[in-house]
Amino acid sequence: MANIDPKFGEALKEYGGVNFNACYNCGNCTAVCSLSTPEDSFPREMVRLSVLGLQDDLKSSLKPWLCYYCGECTTHCPQTANPGELMMSLRRWLTSQYDWTGLSGLLYKSLPLSIIAFVLTTIGVIAFAAYESFNLETIIHFGHYFEMIAIGAVFTFILLPNIIRMWWFVILKPKIQVSFSTYVKSIRELIVHMFTQKRSLGCDDNQVRWFEHLILVFGYLALLFTTVFLDWFSSQNLFVIILGYVESVVIFVVTFDFMGSRIKKNKEINKFSQPSDWFFVIWLFLMGLTAFIVRAFIDLDILETNSWMYLLHLTVLVQWALIIVPFGKWTHFLYRSFAMYFDKVKKMSA
Amino acid sequence: MEKKIGVYVCHCGGNISDYVDVEKVRQAIEDEGGVMLAKTTMFACSDSNQKDMVDDIKKNDLNGVVVASCSPKLHLTTFGNVSERAGLNKYNYVHANIREQVSWAHSDDKAGATEKAIHIVRAAIAKARFTESLEPNKIEAQKAVAIIGSGVAGMKAAIELSNMDCPVYIIEREFFIGGRVSQWGAMFTTNETGKEVVTRLYNDMIRRPNVTVFTGAEVITNVGSIGDFKLKVKITPRYVKEKCDRGKLQQAIDACPVVVPDEFNFNITSRKAIYHNFPSEYPQAAVIDMKSCTRCGKCESICDNIDFSQKEEILDIHVGSVLMATGFDPYTPHDGEFGYNEFANVVTLPQFKRMIELNENKLMHQGKEVKNIAYIYCVGSRQEEGGNTYCSRYCCTSAIHASLLVKKKYPSVYNYHFNRGIRTYGKQESLYYDSSAQGDIYLQAYEDALPVVTWNGSNSIVKINDILTGGREMEVEADLVVLVTGMVPRAENSVGTLFKLPKGRDKFFNEIHMKLRPVETFIDGVTIAGACQGPKNIMESVNSALSAATKSFSYVSKGELETEPIVAVIDPVLCTWCDACSKACPFDAISMTKDGTKSIALINNSVCKGCGMCLPVCPTDAIELIAYSNNEIESMIDALAHD
Ligand SMILES: Cc1cc2nc3c(=O)[nH]c(=O)nc-3n(C[C@H](O)[C@H](O)[C@H](O)COP(=O)(O)OP(=O)(O)OC[C@H]3O[C@@H](n4cnc5c(N)ncnc54)[C@H](O)[C@@H]3O)c2cc1C
Ligand code: SF4
Ligand code: SF4
Repeated sequence: MANIDPKFGEALKEYGGVNFNACYNCGNCTAVCSLSTPEDSFPREMVRLSVLGLQDDLKSSLKPWLCYYCGECTTHCPQTANPGELMMSLRRWLTSQYDWTGLSGLLYKSLPLSIIAFVLTTIGVIAFAAYESFNLETIIHFGHYFEMIAIGAVFTFILLPNIIRMWWFVILKPKIQVSFSTYVKSIRELIVHMFTQKRSLGCDDNQVRWFEHLILVFGYLALLFTTVFLDWFSSQNLFVIILGYVESVVIFVVTFDFMGSRIKKNKEINKFSQPSDWFFVIWLFLMGLTAFIVRAFIDLDILETNSWMYLLHLTVLVQWALIIVPFGKWTHFLYRSFAMYFDKVKKMSA
Repeated sequence: MEKKIGVYVCHCGGNISDYVDVEKVRQAIEDEGGVMLAKTTMFACSDSNQKDMVDDIKKNDLNGVVVASCSPKLHLTTFGNVSERAGLNKYNYVHANIREQVSWAHSDDKAGATEKAIHIVRAAIAKARFTESLEPNKIEAQKAVAIIGSGVAGMKAAIELSNMDCPVYIIEREFFIGGRVSQWGAMFTTNETGKEVVTRLYNDMIRRPNVTVFTGAEVITNVGSIGDFKLKVKITPRYVKEKCDRGKLQQAIDACPVVVPDEFNFNITSRKAIYHNFPSEYPQAAVIDMKSCTRCGKCESICDNIDFSQKEEILDIHVGSVLMATGFDPYTPHDGEFGYNEFANVVTLPQFKRMIELNENKLMHQGKEVKNIAYIYCVGSRQEEGGNTYCSRYCCTSAIHASLLVKKKYPSVYNYHFNRGIRTYGKQESLYYDSSAQGDIYLQAYEDALPVVTWNGSNSIVKINDILTGGREMEVEADLVVLVTGMVPRAENSVGTLFKLPKGRDKFFNEIHMKLRPVETFIDGVTIAGACQGPKNIMESVNSALSAATKSFSYVSKGELETEPIVAVIDPVLCTWCDACSKACPFDAISMTKDGTKSIALINNSVCKGCGMCLPVCPTDAIELIAYSNNEIESMIDALAHD
């Protein structure tokens, strides 16, 4: 017995759902979707569950993560119910449900709150710099350790518990019996999807976007590695220096292109950009750009006289690590990979 | 006069000649008595052959024509017209069907088919030997139309007839005109209110000198037929003078001790025995409902415009055509149908429409504010065989429109639509879109698993296995359940019997042909309009009213009517007035008359349809059917039976 909750539809609008109530269940969206299969049929089913407000069903569903938002469904919807955007808003909503701190939901729903968070982190960085009397060396040293600590802490205290919650919603709560060996055997799925997002190749006309995503992921992870473990900003090794430059260029060029298409709104997926989408690309872009400039300043030997540049980079970095990675769109990348993993696990246990 | 007959045998491309040896047919009949000319033709209906026929008839002075071809349904009129074009009265044309009845039926036996074709053509020739020129019967037509029912359909027809300079009597049974529409507030799809629509029509109608409006009026007898209907109309008085002091009247109403359910509000409120329905209804005059009045005299003592001395009147009305526009009743669910009359919060859509009108800021039902409304669709419509199988057309749109209205008027309300597939056809579809987009929930089931309404002690619970969610069971706790009831024929519809109007399987009045003769009935001179014919919304009611007005006008406009000359005739010598024929006649065309002192049967030529039902029952063989006389039929049988 399911109890209908029409108020949920109103709540979902705060996560970016647009006009999905207008759906009259024709099923065109599901028919045109190149990723939907008879066993995993969407997006109509997700639209229906959202309209009815069946939250438990939505929480235990992995289907929102199976969609890579090519926008074909939205193009073909006769009711302009924007099923593609609904799937996107469900991913945001799910993220907020997985997040035990509840901050994801708050930041998604409220632009002022997001801005306050950004301002607070900026103040924090400046206050810290002032405390250290703007001594560049100490600050760079701190920056380097901050990255390591932040990665470890965010992962341990936020992302790991959230993934455990996701696991609870999709496997434990619906009482799906899974053997330990199944978990182990499916691990490959997790790794492959995390690094390649290969499923999105199934979308029609998606090869370019997939490729851009792929190099962005590798660029990002590589830059992370280069700065944290190869200590790019202090390195004397020519190879490391050039590697860092290349990686940061890749990041800001690709994100620049992404921003361009969000502005032009020439693709279905870009018609309804939410602040969280913008934060993600802009901050990634800024990360690449500021890292590039900082290293360039070092090589030109002008960073000492322009320490504000490093502070700028550090601010972007802190905001990225404390806001966007744990509570923003970055997590989609993580949850999506785990969704593939859980999906495989579920199917193997069926 | 000696008969000169032309015979044409058609190949019909090969449809006939592939199985019937048409040349052999031609040879077999060319020497028949009276046959002057016999031809075969590739396509008898082709332009060139029609021209040749005209030439043949003129040149040879033919006075009988036979075409042996396809079914008379297809081309009887065609070849009748060919004869007329050649100056030969069309009743001299005889049709022989050798396609449907021969070539197509006997494609396995060519010799037999040819033989049968020869016989059929011979029979047609036998009939052609007796044909005569006939002229249509002319009858006088009274140039006036009576309209029964003054809803939107009746009023619109009245206005239209008045525009055509045709006097109109509009006869309304209730004391107020406007019909059902006056009961609805804002309506689909324009949001105009019922009152606005009715006011507009009433004001337009009432100012016309050639429209006479009767309220509280009923047709009690009808004699006569097309062109000449004589109606008796009984007028019940209002017992209140039309012009009166409103203040006093209100005091009189307040003083009346009799309280009865108010039908105008579908019994969700009550009224006094003396009451009025304005501002929605016209004329804006009060009335005393004598069925519930106890004659206590309280009102009379307050207001001197109350007049118990008014008397019932019987009027005679004489018209050439009758236009029936008596409308519909909303379906009344039986006790227990989806909780109706069982649970306190189950109402019908008409009642709900009144509730929206009567509740200003909050939607209240029985002292409780309504938050969740469940609409159950197709109640009384689309039932299983044996019930009302039709769709009532108006109700999906009306329910959805109502749900938009309530959401706008009372924003905290949630709407749940338990439907069987939404039918908001045409422009009405945009309302469905608006309602979904505003967040209304639609749940759907098939007819074999309808929603179930139960009671949890304070509210109704509506359960459904929703086919849009893979058949999952869903439930809604509803403060109000609205049964979206369909349309049914008027419960009191005896006026139809008075005019012998045929009804369809759905019990609504029936047209002759759904597509091609949609407002005519089998009773000549009587047309139908609006929802008395079947479920219709206002636009559809008005459309049919306009065509019925035009059709009715066409009967009376010339002051004279032409009817088919093929009717029954009585031989006064043989007739003994045994009455068997009048009983057999399905159209009431036969009555008794005196021939000197002798009683004989009389055929009303304007009513007789030439169906021939009276012929076989006459014990003295005193009836002949023109164009199908005994001589003609017997000679045809002879021709068919002769080798
Ligand atoms: C709940 C509901 C809501 C609706 N909402 C809309 C809407 O929003 N928009 C829309 O387009 N349509 C709507 N409709 C449909 C609309 O009501 C009909 O199309 C319209 O009433 C048909 O008009 P009518 O003149 O044929 O019949 P009626 O309105 O029924 O009028 C018939 C008249 O004939 C009179 N009469 C009956 N028998 C006799 C007799 N024997 N002698 C003399 N007089 C007689 C009656 O008293 C009545 O005045 C709605 C219907 C319902 C039930
Ligand atoms: S195409 Fe649009 S209307 Fe049709 S099922 Fe999908 S979302 Fe609903
Ligand atoms: S119009 Fe709609 S509610 Fe009315 S009978 Fe037809 S399908 Fe049912």
